[in-house]
Amino acid sequence: MPLLDFQTALGRLVRVPAGGDPLRGLDLDLRERSHLAVLADSAGFRFTMDVQRSWCIGRAAKAARLTLSMLPMEERERLLNEWVDAGRGTTSFFVAEADVFFDFIAEHLPEPSHLLTICRLEQGTLRASEGAHHFKTPDLVRLAGADCVLRQGRHATLVRFYSEPRILFAGLTGEKTLPPISPVPMQMLFGPGVTGLFREAQPNELALWERLARPVPLTALLREGHGREVIEELFLTGIAECLE
Amino acid sequence: MPGLLDFVEVTPETLCKQRHLGAAAMIEIVPGQVERARKICEALPMVVHGVELSIGSAQGWNGAYLEMLDKFQVRWPFLWHSEHLGFQTIPDEDGATVETGVPLPLSPTTEAVQVVAGRSAAIRERYGVPFLLENPAHYLLDLPADPEIGDDIGLMRAIIERSGCFQLLDLHNVYCNAVNHHFDPFAAIDRMPLDRVFEIHVAGGSWRGGFLMDAHDGRVPDAVWELLEYTLPRAPKVAGVVFEMLEEHALRLGFRTIEQELRRAGEIWRRYRLG
Repeated sequence: MPLLDFQTALGRLVRVPAGGDPLRGLDLDLRERSHLAVLADSAGFRFTMDVQRSWCIGRAAKAARLTLSMLPMEERERLLNEWVDAGRGTTSFFVAEADVFFDFIAEHLPEPSHLLTICRLEQGTLRASEGAHHFKTPDLVRLAGADCVLRQGRHATLVRFYSEPRILFAGLTGEKTLPPISPVPMQMLFGPGVTGLFREAQPNELALWERLARPVPLTALLREGHGREVIEELFLTGIAECLE
Repeated sequence: MPGLLDFVEVTPETLCKQRHLGAAAMIEIVPGQVERARKICEALPMVVHGVELSIGSAQGWNGAYLEMLDKFQVRWPFLWHSEHLGFQTIPDEDGATVETGVPLPLSPTTEAVQVVAGRSAAIRERYGVPFLLENPAHYLLDLPADPEIGDDIGLMRAIIERSGCFQLLDLHNVYCNAVNHHFDPFAAIDRMPLDRVFEIHVAGGSWRGGFLMDAHDGRVPDAVWELLEYTLPRAPKVAGVVFEMLEEHALRLGFRTIEQELRRAGEIWRRYRLG
């Protein structure tokens, strides 16, 4: 059996938890398929699958340590299993998968809730700190082009706190009971160029942030009344960025 | 730990992050991390032990890892470097590279020898320092094999003969395989190319699901210390012994335990090498 075919078959068999035909599309004869079937039925192979699964779960758990620690154990295990069942958690550089994992967890959390706040807080911190490694304050000249299109920064996040953050953290650490959900959230913007990586968002910044959920030409933003100075401030801190 | 360590082994990927530029994945050294690590290691000599190369992947090795290692060597020169003999990437149905999630063993075939020997020789050339391949622990029996290669040991032998690289002999991996696959580890060591062993690993593991795992989560078992005492006088080129332990187990094991393991390794080393 060619090395590539064998490795592809073995790798797929290890990765695929259940269902489907992992050998689909591979040019294997009956004898080779039979060999693989015997291998896949061995105790050693099943154990290899267990190890693979536990490593994938471990990587995902490392990526969202704080958020997962806040979830009830059953819910935590359910989310991790669902994530790994979808074939995720395989990369050693788990941070690369972390952003998508936070979105996945967030989809399963009630809104509004303190849990969702923590999830977005951890995601926002990770995004902004990762972006800060390479962040260079952009040149405002880039906003001068007639075809400039802006969007939310890839390393930026808006986090809504439904209580004063210190009170929430005191509740999470068990020092106090968790505060009630406030109807008026405190909203924080995280960005790679923000001093300390986050700050409270101003109402005009929030409006611009929401508008930038999809790419928008700068000319349209100005026409709609978004202030140039607000646009420039978000641009300079990486909360907004030009579409390449 | 003054006096306990003669050199350190660094896995550069732990100082890196992955970044995607379009479809291409890059491995980048996180700014400041190398400098922090060098400061912690002070002036100790350093060797590299990589995990991301996937040197045995038939589809292709991890070029991004080597590009990172090029830069790493400039910033922190290493005496030698090593990788695991195995593969951890495969093509998906569209041909794109996906990770298996766990390193898998190579089948002992002439094709595997050709693939890895060619790459090992290229790596020796690229970095100008000895390159070592580590024998893996694995739980799979009856991998497809060519009779002229035979088994894991034959595979390592053939690669070393063709490429001029060395072996990183992981004694805990030998021990795990011996226990799980029911063979005599001393007899296995006798069959290895001991004159090409350049470094030795010792580690601890744990039982799970009826298998002894190479978990790097505990003290070195007595059986592995015995293997070290057996191997050192028979492997004249060994330049160092490394105690491996995953960082998440350090607190549980505690400083005293780690210190004891390092002292024991040092005592055995000095007995056979210095005296």
